[in-house]
Parts: sequence; C-alpha cells; structure tokens
Amino acid sequence: MGWISITIALPLVGALVLAVAPELSARGVRAVGMGATVLTLLTSVALLTQFDLSEPGLQLLERFTWIPAIGADVALAVDGVSLLLILLTTLLTPLILFASWSSVTDRLRGYVAAFLVLEAAVIGVFASVDLLLFYVFFEFTLIPMYLIIGIWGGTLRRYAAVKFFLYTLLGGLLMLVAILYLFGQAGTFDYEAVRALELTITEQRWLFVAFALAFAVKVPLFPVHTWLPDAHTEAPTGGSVFLAGVLLKMGTFGLLRYALPIFPDATVEFAPWLLAISVVGILYGAVVALMQADIKRLIAYSSVSHMGFVVLGTFALNATATSASVIQMVNHGLSTGALFLLIGFLYERRHTRQIAAFGGLAKQVPVMAGLWLVVSMSSLALPGLNGFVGEFPILLGTFQENRTAGVLAAFGAVLAAVYLLWAYQRIFHGPLEGADNQNTVDLKPREIGVLTPIVVLIVAIGLYPQPMFDLVEPSVDRVLTEVGVSELEVEPAATTSEEG
Amino acid sequence: MFLAQATEPLEIPEVAWSSFAPELALTAAALVLLLIAIAKGRQQLVAVPAAVVSLAAGIWLVTQQLVVPGGVAIALGLALPALVFAFPRRGSLVQAWGAGLALVGALVLTGWQYLTVLEGGGTEVATIVPQAALAGALANDGIAFFTRITVYLTGLLVVPIGYGYLQDRRINRAEVEPLLLLAVVGMAALGTANDLITLFVALEVLSLALYVLAGLARRDRRSQEASLKYFVLGAVASAILLYGMALTYVASGELALPAIGSSLGLVTTDRVVATLGLALITVGLGFKVALVPFHLWTPDVYQGSPTNVTAFMAAATKAAGFAAILRLYLVAFPGLQGLWVPVLAVLAALTMLYGAYLALVQRDLKRMLAYSSITHAGYATIGVVAVSDAGLSGTLWYLLTYAVSTLGAFACVIAIERTRGGEVGLLELRGLGRTSPAIAGILSLCLLSLAGLPPTAGFVGKLVVFQAGVQAGLTWLVVIGVLSSVVAAFFYLRIAGTMFLEDADPALPLPAASSGLTVGTAVSAALVVFLGIQPQLFLQVADSAAALVR
Repeated sequence: MGWISITIALPLVGALVLAVAPELSARGVRAVGMGATVLTLLTSVALLTQFDLSEPGLQLLERFTWIPAIGADVALAVDGVSLLLILLTTLLTPLILFASWSSVTDRLRGYVAAFLVLEAAVIGVFASVDLLLFYVFFEFTLIPMYLIIGIWGGTLRRYAAVKFFLYTLLGGLLMLVAILYLFGQAGTFDYEAVRALELTITEQRWLFVAFALAFAVKVPLFPVHTWLPDAHTEAPTGGSVFLAGVLLKMGTFGLLRYALPIFPDATVEFAPWLLAISVVGILYGAVVALMQADIKRLIAYSSVSHMGFVVLGTFALNATATSASVIQMVNHGLSTGALFLLIGFLYERRHTRQIAAFGGLAKQVPVMAGLWLVVSMSSLALPGLNGFVGEFPILLGTFQENRTAGVLAAFGAVLAAVYLLWAYQRIFHGPLEGADNQNTVDLKPREIGVLTPIVVLIVAIGLYPQPMFDLVEPSVDRVLTEVGVSELEVEPAATTSEEG
Repeated sequence: MFLAQATEPLEIPEVAWSSFAPELALTAAALVLLLIAIAKGRQQLVAVPAAVVSLAAGIWLVTQQLVVPGGVAIALGLALPALVFAFPRRGSLVQAWGAGLALVGALVLTGWQYLTVLEGGGTEVATIVPQAALAGALANDGIAFFTRITVYLTGLLVVPIGYGYLQDRRINRAEVEPLLLLAVVGMAALGTANDLITLFVALEVLSLALYVLAGLARRDRRSQEASLKYFVLGAVASAILLYGMALTYVASGELALPAIGSSLGLVTTDRVVATLGLALITVGLGFKVALVPFHLWTPDVYQGSPTNVTAFMAAATKAAGFAAILRLYLVAFPGLQGLWVPVLAVLAALTMLYGAYLALVQRDLKRMLAYSSITHAGYATIGVVAVSDAGLSGTLWYLLTYAVSTLGAFACVIAIERTRGGEVGLLELRGLGRTSPAIAGILSLCLLSLAGLPPTAGFVGKLVVFQAGVQAGLTWLVVIGVLSSVVAAFFYLRIAGTMFLEDADPALPLPAASSGLTVGTAVSAALVVFLGIQPQLFLQVADSAAALVR
C-alpha cells in the first residue's frame, strides 16, 4: 500500500471503528473522528513531500487488480491539481468535525461516520486514474451527503436532499454511459489509455456533452444549479462547508481532468459556449445573491457566481487563466467554507439566518465581525488576500482570449463586492437594537481555533501564492498542450473529411 | 458416462444422469419430504428406508468413482433420520432443514458439474458435452450452470427467510417446502431445456408449483385472488407460448433448439410462420418475466401472495425465465435476429420506463417492489438484445445481483410485516432507522443495490449490462435505462428517506426477525456487498458461462 491508498483507507478505518465499536461516549466518537481525519491530513502532507514538482504527469501510481473480468483496476495516482484538492479536503474535514463539536448531538456517531466516509470517497475521486473507479467514488459521495443533508439538515431537508441526489445522479449516470463507450473504444478503463484514444469529432461532441453535463451539475453551472441553494440552505453547517469547500470542486476538477484532455477537439469547439454559460452564471448568481434575505442562501448563490469564475478560467484555455482557476478552486473552498462556518456559528447563537434580524453586531461580537470581514474580503478578491490571486489571473487570461466574456465577468467581481459588503454592513453595522442582538455572544476559543488555520491560509496564499502555482502549473500545462496540439491537428482532419 | 451419446437413431439414448444430478437430488428430496409430512407421527417409517436407499445409492456412486455425488447422497441420507429424530414433534422444522440441506446439496452438485465440464480442458470439449445430455434435450451449458446457481441460492435463502413468517401466519403447511423444491427443479430445468418440449414441461412444473404457493394463505382473500389471477393468466400465457412453439415446429420441422436455429437459417424455411411462432413465444415468455405490456398480473400477484413466495417469485422466476429467453433467442432464433432484436429492445425500453413510472406512485411496499421487479426485467433484456457473449453473461450476472438484492429487500419487508400484520405502507416505515437501525439499514442497502448505486451488487449488475448494450451499439437503450434508473432511484430513496429522515410513530410495533430470518437477511445483505465490491469470482463464472454456450 502506498501513501494514497493509506490516505483513502484511514477515514474508512475510522468509520469502521465507529460502526462496530459497542458503546462509545460522545467524547469517544469525536475523538475517533478527529483522530482519523487528523491522521489523514498528515498522510496527505506526506503525499506532498513525496511529490516531484518537476514532473507534470501522474505520480505515485498504485495499481491493484479489482475486477479483471470487466477490465477495471483500482488505480490511484496524483498530479499537482488533484494533490492540491486532496490537501484541501483533508484540511477541511477535521475543521468541520471540530466546528460541529457542540452543534451536533443527535445521532453523533452517524454524523461523524458519514463525514469520514465522505472524505474517503472524495479523496478517491481526486486520486482515481481508472474511469470506473472514479465513477464509483463520484457516485458514492452522494449517499453520505444525502444522509448529512437529510438527517441533520433544516426543515426542508428531505426535499433538498432528494433534489441534490437526483440531479447529481442523472448527470453521473449519463457520464457512466460515456465511460462505457470509452471503454468500448479503449478496451480498458485506464485513464492514460483512454486519454491516448483518437476519437472522431462526432464521438467527442457526444461524449463531451455527457461528461460536461455530469460535471456542470456538480459545479453547478447556470441552468442546472437549482439544487445548490436548497442543499446549502438546508444542510447542517458542516455539510454546507463540505459541499462548498470540496464537493463542488469535483465538478471543476472533472472538467479539467477528463473533459478537456480526453475530448480536446470538442473542448475547443464548445469552449465559447461554456464561457457564455459561465458568464451568465457569474452574473446571475451575483444578482440573485444581492436579493437574498437569508444569509446562507446569499452565500449559496455567491457560490454559483464564484464557481462560474472557475469554469470561466478553465475554458479560457490559456495558461494563466486555467492555472488560476485551479487556485481559485482552493480559494473558494477556503473563503466560502469559512463564511459557512461563520454563518453556522451565528445561527447557533440566534437560530435565524434572516439578515434583517441582525444589526450592529460588530459592537457586540468584534472577533466574529473581524473574521467575517477578512473572509468576505477574501471572497470578493481584495488584493493581498487569496481571492485576488485566483480571480485576477482568471479575468486577465479570459480577457486575452475573449474580451466580451472578460468584461462581463468583471462585473460579477464588482457585484460580489456589493452583495458581500452590503450583507456585512447590514449584519454588523448600524445601531445595535433588540434584546437578541444585544445578547449575542462572541466566538468561543474553539470556534476561533477552527477559523484560524483558514484565515492564516487566506492571508498566506494572498501574499505568496507561488508554491501553489508551482504545484499546479505543470499539470495544467500538460492538459493545455493536449488541447492545444489537437487544435492544430483538427483543421486538416476536418478538411480531409469534407473532401472525402 | 458424462459424454454419453446416442450411437444409433432408434436406440434409446443412454441417460446421462450426471447432467441433471442436482435436479434429481432435489426431486427425491421433495418426494421424501412430502412422504414424511404425510406420515405425521410415524416419520421414522419414511425417514429410515429413504435414508437407507440414499446411503446405498451414495456408496454405489462412490464405488463408481463419482465421489462428489456419492458424498452428497450419503450426507443427505445421514441428515434425514438425524433431522427426524432431532425434531420429533416439529414437522415444519424437519421440512425446512431438509429442504435447505437438499438445496445445499444441489449447489454442491452444480459446482461439481461445473468443474467436471471445465476439466475437459477449454471450451471446445465443453461445447460438445452440453449437447450430448439426453440426446440433446438438455444443454448443460453456461446458461444452465448460472441459472442453477441463482435459483438454488434463492431457494436456499427463501427457506429460512420464510420459515418464521409461515409460522406466524399459520400457513406453514407441509406442502410448502416440497412445492418450493419442485418449483426450483422446474426453474433449473428451464435453464437447461434445449428443446421445445422440455422447455414447456419445465415451465409448467415451475408454474404449477407457484400457482399453489401463491394461494398458500387459504383464509386470505388477497392470496386467493393472487393465486387465481396468476393461474388464469399464466395458463393463457402458457397456451399462447405452446401455440408459438407449435408454429415454430411447423416452420422448422424441429424441436431441438439448435436444430431450429439452423433450420431457420435456411432460405427454404417459411419465414411467415416462423415469425408468427416467434411472436407468440415472445408474448408467452414476456408474461413469465413480466415485460411490459405483459406485466399486468405482476402487481396483484406479488402483493397478494405470501411475502416469502413473492420474494421467491421475484428473484428466481425471473432468472429462470430469462434463461429460457436467452437460450431460445440466441440458439433457436438467431436467424430472425433482425426481427426480434428491435422488438425486444422496444419492449425493454417500455418496461424500464413504465415500471419505474408506476412504482413512483405506489404506497404499498410489496406493490412498489413488484413494479420495481418489472423495471429490472427491462434492464436484464438489454443483455439479451445485445446478442453477444458480453450481453449473455451480463444478463445472467444481472439476474444474480437482482436476486440477492430483491431477496434482501423482501426479507426486511417480512420482518416488518411479522409484527405489524397486513400490508406495509410507506407511512408505516417512518422512523424505522431510529427504532430498528439494522433492518432499516439492510433494507436501504438492498434498495440502493436495486437502484444501482456503488458499491453494491446492483451497480456492477447494471454496469455489465449497460456495458454490453453500449458495445452492441444500443446506446439509446442504455440512455433510457439510465433515465429509468434515476426515476427508480427516486422511489427507492423515498423508502430509505422515510426510514431514516423522519420521526418514528411510537404506536407502531417494532419489527422483529426470527433467527432464520436474521440469517437469511444477513446473508443476502452480505452478498449484496460482496458482489458489489468483489464481483470478480462470479463475473468470471458468468463470462465462462457465455463461452460455454457458443
């Protein structure tokens, strides 16, 4: 067993312990959860130390035979992009468990176990280099997340959970058909073999649509985003953080890992459409966010807008923008994750999320207000914080490729400042009125402890993002080379077919 | 002796007993169990002579170098008196254990057959061997092997699952286990049948046994209704099937399926009559496996029958029916492929969509599972219309995964029914996840498997048939399968959601599993997980099964 499989196995072992251990106190359950997730974090850091930055391809390959009868292996490997996202996952999971220390008491054992299983599945998604295995992990994330929303969620939790489940399942199953088709062509589910396939442009179009639809639901892109606000609003805090922080990244990661390099010609062909959809999503998400009365819904729509930037950068197909879109995945995970944590803490104190119910809280809860401001600034891409180093190169790169898209998307960045600061202003500034507001207590040391690592990273990445770029650029370049090279090849191929 | 073959046309063919050894053992067991039930207080009078005969036969077999069948006969011969003496006043326990052990014996014999055929070395010998059994009436090929595994396993699980349920409802009458064994024999024979007559007889054996089993609850009007409906409609379907067989015989002049196949390939054959025959056969078999639009009996029969019988029907009848479909279409009708492939593909599409759509609006759990079983017939058909080795092994494998998942689901329904009496509606499942997490968990697991989510058996099942479908260029059908899976996932999820996401109604009694039910449920659940995570072993068997047919 190598480091990757250990990283996947550790949370599962933790979940298994929770499943079979006879009597465990709440303290014991939390200890198991924290122990497993912190160990996972350590092994993923060990992965980082094993990683060779100069090598653009997949590294640390581990391969076990699984179902030879249908040509499926357990094959795990990482490149810079997946390693970064694995680190994000393993960082956020212990923080989530730590954050829900006191808020979740009902069926605690199941809650912790669900997060452990979810973590393992998500790491599996990022680390699989076998298409079937990837699909298995991708779909498997649905079950724990369904339970997390459905059991520990708000009043409309069943509706939200089912909607989340069905949307993603439909996209995923269409992708499965595409994967099976690719298997038919390649004779194996192995990622590199599939990537080496020479597909006709018609095949590429259909398959690209199937893959892109699955990932677009996950991201979520504009017309298929409607599950997200419901899921975010109804999910418990931990669920929202994980959803925004990690699960949405499975979509953008999938686009970059699968849709682009396997279907390079279709990517080039569809890129303008995806740019258009992303821009619509950015602006739509931002405008709708402006109008929300519920702070959690506001952040949910801001997620639609921000993830639009990531897809925009990915399909700008330009070294600057596409690398930055990977950075932006992490940034969004950190800043939106932190915002959801803060909303959760506020909700625990007040049991409401209506912005109108708050006011003047900065005087009462200065620490929370300060952290909220920093995180909001990160989310609206203030220079010096992490959001800027992601969003600015995305806009820059897009502008070079497609001026209109770049200009329109920039408006999204402006709107982000409006809705985030306006929300901040309404909650924390103004007169401190009403007994509820006056009795709100500030963050406890544990809660500050949860937010500290995130805020440190927000500042650190903002000031010195180069290590992250070093990590992802070789992998992104490899993808873009593939897309770019085939772009040159597509012209003669197309003409010959017309002549024929 | 396994390779026995008729040398001259008029000579009575040498009977290759080994080619139906498992069925032989089961038939004998069914007879003995029936006699024991009749003997009431004097069970020893039946048990001892039967045991002596069985032991003698076993010893003789061992002296003939047939160690495995001999061993099975000896073991069963020893077990029988032991059971009778162990449970002197509990006839139904003797029956249940007897049937279970006989099924274990049958599984062992199936494994022995499988190894013996493969021992011949490679597929060449293997394809010769099957045709030789009983002058070609039986084909001991891959379809037969895999169907045996599925139906015997199903029978083996149904016996303990149903035991406590039959006791509770006071319908634990003595004929249950013998009839079950006979139905299993009929199903296995259907999987083996290689000519039209054998196929029809096997189908009737299993149907007659099931008609009676469906009406087991004599004082329950629904059960009677189920039995009558099943019988009347089933008889009509049988008649149509028989008519179709007759027309096929008229067209081809042959009864043996391979001979029909080669005859229909000729230009001289009357294609109109053959087509009519094919159409009628499709209707008859479509009824047996509940393809839309021949599915109308399914919901009522599944809902009314005693739940253990429903479980058995859902899991095993489907496997046997598809075995017949596979052999008929792939061996006898390849010449008319241009006709039946599109027709069956459309039927499969209709079945998947309509079953899923109707399951959506059901409130009663058994009825919902009935519609879900219709949907699954559609998925299994994808493998048939793929007309390939991959499709053949895919369908066989799919039916196994479906059987274990559906058995597990019905077993949980039984556990809930036992204490609540009557029907189990969706609302009555509220909060089960809190009050009895084990049953709710296993039911959800089986439902997820039926929905086809990883990492369960159902996922690998769907994966393999979808794979075969895509490879055969039937991507449109697979996409319909995908859409229907999403609809199906919705109602499976609704059951799981009702159990886990809602609060319990304290007025409802808790479900309770008897020891047999616990074992059966646990084994089903374990199989669902095992076949999902480590499918290699059985997939390989299914693959070699496909190789054995052609």
